[in-house]
Amino acid sequence: MTVDILSSIKGSQPSEAVNKLFEAIKNANSTNNNSFNKNHNNAVSLDDLRDDVVINSPNIEKQLIIENFPKEKNGYLVVAKVIEE
Amino acid sequence: MSQIRKIHTQLKNKEITCVKLVQDRLDLLKSNTHNTVNSLLDTLALELAKNVDAKIKNGQDIGLLEGIPFGIKDVYMLQGTLATASSDLLKNYKSPYTATAIQKLLDAGAIPLVKENCDSFGHGSSSENTIFGAVKNAVNTDLVGGGSSGGSAVNVAKDFTVFSIGGDTGGSIRQPAGFNNVYGFKPTYGRISRFGLMAYASSTDCVGPIAKSIEDIRLVLNVMSGKDVKDQTTYESTEISASNILNAEEIKTVGYFKNFIETDAIDQKIKSNFLASIEKIKAKGIQVKELDFFEADTLVSTYYTLAMAETASNLSRLDGTNYGQRIEGENLKDTYSITRSENFSEETKRRIVGGNQVLSQGFSDEIYLKGLNLRDQIVENFEKDFKEVDIILSPVTPNTPPKIGDSLKNPLAMYLSDAYTVGFSLGQLPTLTIPQGTATGLQITAAKNNDELVLKFANFLKDTI
Repeated sequence: MTVDILSSIKGSQPSEAVNKLFEAIKNANSTNNNSFNKNHNNAVSLDDLRDDVVINSPNIEKQLIIENFPKEKNGYLVVAKVIEE
Repeated sequence: MSQIRKIHTQLKNKEITCVKLVQDRLDLLKSNTHNTVNSLLDTLALELAKNVDAKIKNGQDIGLLEGIPFGIKDVYMLQGTLATASSDLLKNYKSPYTATAIQKLLDAGAIPLVKENCDSFGHGSSSENTIFGAVKNAVNTDLVGGGSSGGSAVNVAKDFTVFSIGGDTGGSIRQPAGFNNVYGFKPTYGRISRFGLMAYASSTDCVGPIAKSIEDIRLVLNVMSGKDVKDQTTYESTEISASNILNAEEIKTVGYFKNFIETDAIDQKIKSNFLASIEKIKAKGIQVKELDFFEADTLVSTYYTLAMAETASNLSRLDGTNYGQRIEGENLKDTYSITRSENFSEETKRRIVGGNQVLSQGFSDEIYLKGLNLRDQIVENFEKDFKEVDIILSPVTPNTPPKIGDSLKNPLAMYLSDAYTVGFSLGQLPTLTIPQGTATGLQITAAKNNDELVLKFANFLKDTI
């Protein structure tokens, strides 16, 4: 898939500046390839997971979410036309 | 001198009213020509100020932050107010809820005045990538304000706000603080909740204060810190007391990265001033060690590769379906791509496309996974260093602030200018910019979760260099 489709941005192209960064990564010395991911310890412990409960949003929050919706017709929120491919 | 304590005393002694304090600052913000303001929160601020005045009039005690005016980078949610991320896509978006860090400040009685200009979605190092006009430096208006939290740093430097809340993903608090001669702190990742901060690169995004004194940084940091069930990467931290950061005797060894200094890329004056600061530290009997670190281009490339991958993912929700400036196309997919191509800035598009490039098949192994691996090595390097030294000291930037217009012309040069800040982001380490030492300040870094030591050393340097 091309990057414009992957990014959902019409006509987008890879940039020269960013490609230079990628070249630097490719050329960088990476000594211990087996150590992948061992320092990423931001995961939450199982004992510390939050409760699996539904918290109802306050009315003001619901109202603001509706206000932010881009399009409304006859009291309905309208999304773009969906096509089957 | 703590601005917060000074104003607190003035309010308590009835030397000024809170309404006047707030109105004066709102007037300054409104008439300022540095392009720091995305929207003013005047109605809310004046209402809150009246409540504080009523309390004082009734003889009630007020908390230290009560009535203190502050600014918020326009990437935070504050219920009912605009949260634009300085972008066309969200220019009419209203926050449905309030960020945890901001809520804690409101609970402490601080008064929000302004949503502050910044690089769109945090994508930039100069605060020029914004629909509200380039932020102008507090000292020299021909120069950039720094970024991405440029509006916040300039507002603090010009005394338009007493403190401001910025966001730092790869240096976005520390660099503008350095460019405008104020303090800016990126705490340890997870010390402050990210809930309600628009996500850029979630694994390095940090909330932090910008202020004019170490004491004000400490006070605001303490209020915002703490575990939050809405951000499961947060952790419980203890309050940093004023008395604990006064004495820096426990700091025996300071290190600096030799390759940051011994390079042609650094401005000669920044280099000589940095080395002069090192000599003053040595003269106080502290041992200084030269440390080895990764090449600047490796650091920058690792950071940008991972940050772009994360931002491509985080910003994929911005498609105009449930919110945002939707532009209708022929069908759903067309609507997505027109909405995104018309409403994202060139820099944001560059980063999203770069992120999708590295995450796509055929690229991910040699770039994205290698980037993750390099990050692991950087983290290991820091762990090794902090067995040898208590503090790492660095310049904030290799060069002085660029002229407005230059960074937009040369994005690669802008990325490379982040060479000294991004490493500490990848390491998730607490790092403070102080307005001393070089033209763009110095960075003080300690090991993970050792935010207290950073402030301690900052107090020591205040009297030393």
